[in-house]
Amino acid sequence: MYDRPTAAELIDAVRGHLENHVVPAVKGDGKLYFQTLVAINVLRVVERELKLAPDHAQSEWARLDHLEGAMDVPNNARLIFSILHERNTQLCDNIRAGRYDGERKIALFEHLMATTIEQLQVANPKYLQTLAQEDGVSS
Amino acid sequence: MDDLLNPLKDRLSQYLTEVSGTPTEIHHAQPIAGGASRDTWLIDATIGGERQKLVLRRDLSTVMYEQALTREQEYQFIDAAYQKGVLAPRPRFLCTDPNLLSQSFFIVDYVEGISIGRKVIQAPELADARAALPQQMAQQLAKIHAIAAEGLEFLPRIPEGQSAAQQALDQVRNMLDKLSAQNPAFAYGLRWCERHAQTSERITVLHGDFRLGNLLIGTQGLNAVIDWEFGHIGDPHEEMGYCCMRDWRFGNGHLHFAGLSDRETFLRAYEQASGVTVDRAAVDWWEIMGNLRWGVTCLAQANRHLSGRDVSVEYASLGRRSAEMQLEMLRLIQQRGL
Repeated sequence: MYDRPTAAELIDAVRGHLENHVVPAVKGDGKLYFQTLVAINVLRVVERELKLAPDHAQSEWARLDHLEGAMDVPNNARLIFSILHERNTQLCDNIRAGRYDGERKIALFEHLMATTIEQLQVANPKYLQTLAQEDGVSS
Repeated sequence: MDDLLNPLKDRLSQYLTEVSGTPTEIHHAQPIAGGASRDTWLIDATIGGERQKLVLRRDLSTVMYEQALTREQEYQFIDAAYQKGVLAPRPRFLCTDPNLLSQSFFIVDYVEGISIGRKVIQAPELADARAALPQQMAQQLAKIHAIAAEGLEFLPRIPEGQSAAQQALDQVRNMLDKLSAQNPAFAYGLRWCERHAQTSERITVLHGDFRLGNLLIGTQGLNAVIDWEFGHIGDPHEEMGYCCMRDWRFGNGHLHFAGLSDRETFLRAYEQASGVTVDRAAVDWWEIMGNLRWGVTCLAQANRHLSGRDVSVEYASLGRRSAEMQLEMLRLIQQRGL
């Protein structure tokens, strides 16, 4: 295995550098300042993805088993992601062909909702929190 | 920053002297935040002895959206809106000679106001404006939808034999195909929209990007509607659904209309101003379609970076922002029934 720092720790170091040194230095340049904030946010996305992707891949796989028929989980982590991509291509084809127009649409919808929430847990967990708060207020 | 100021300032004043027929002096020119596909300058000039604040909009060499109007077309569209009594900035000059500022440009009167959605939603001094805006925006939209399409032949229109809904579905399908995106949620959203497609009884001129970010807001409310580059012919329900999209509520998610009010307040004001009954189900459909289209557009923006065409961390990041529109689309479909 690799020595420390881990990938996550390296990303954290880069993010710290951007936040503490680059951001104050580019405050006068609106465009560069904005893009640096975007870059910092992108690193946060990557940090969360490193942490969550293995579990998300596993739960997505299980849901696809339920929808599209069971498949053995490959014992190679890299393979899981490439086969997941293939399985999603297959799912898209089936949706487009109308194979989920009937009663199966309910199970499909639950899967899509779960996958989308997992995507947002990586991309923007604050968005999910805000929505939960809003739903709490309005109900 | 000074590329307009130094070598071109003289050319601009010379041009303005020529077209206005009176001596013109440019005192100051500074860039202001504009759309992502063009650059916008605030010009302080004296024309015919009168000090004036103007806004100059110029094409950028990279084009953001293929469907966007050229500067010449946008200028004509603004002119038509202005003539119709819409709160658009008064059009002043159009120059299509690329030799002058290396791209076509137009000049309109400067209008005071804030176009930063988050500020409009939050600023304490804009409380009166926020209260007035649902009515004002509905009235402006009704006026825009009443602009005659004759004379605006350049506005993108619905292909013969298609409905507005079919055209929108085709656009999204083509975008997904071009990207080879295998996203089951968007595939499902597209399928749902196909199965529930609306027919349009009324086809009108649309602003095409009607939301707080493209309005100038003062303490009394709406001062001007700007950014007319996405004008097209379509179903007015499209525009009503569009300005209700969550992404344009700027943190005020519980207020369905633009983060300002509930949707009915806005729709009733539109009905009153236009004399036309709004089909609520059609607005629902177009809001779902709007989220689908904006979500897929985010993927397309990320692809600009991935393809190497416009390398930018900002475009790259949009590829993950699409999940926000994806969730909103699914939630709206759930509310309407799968």
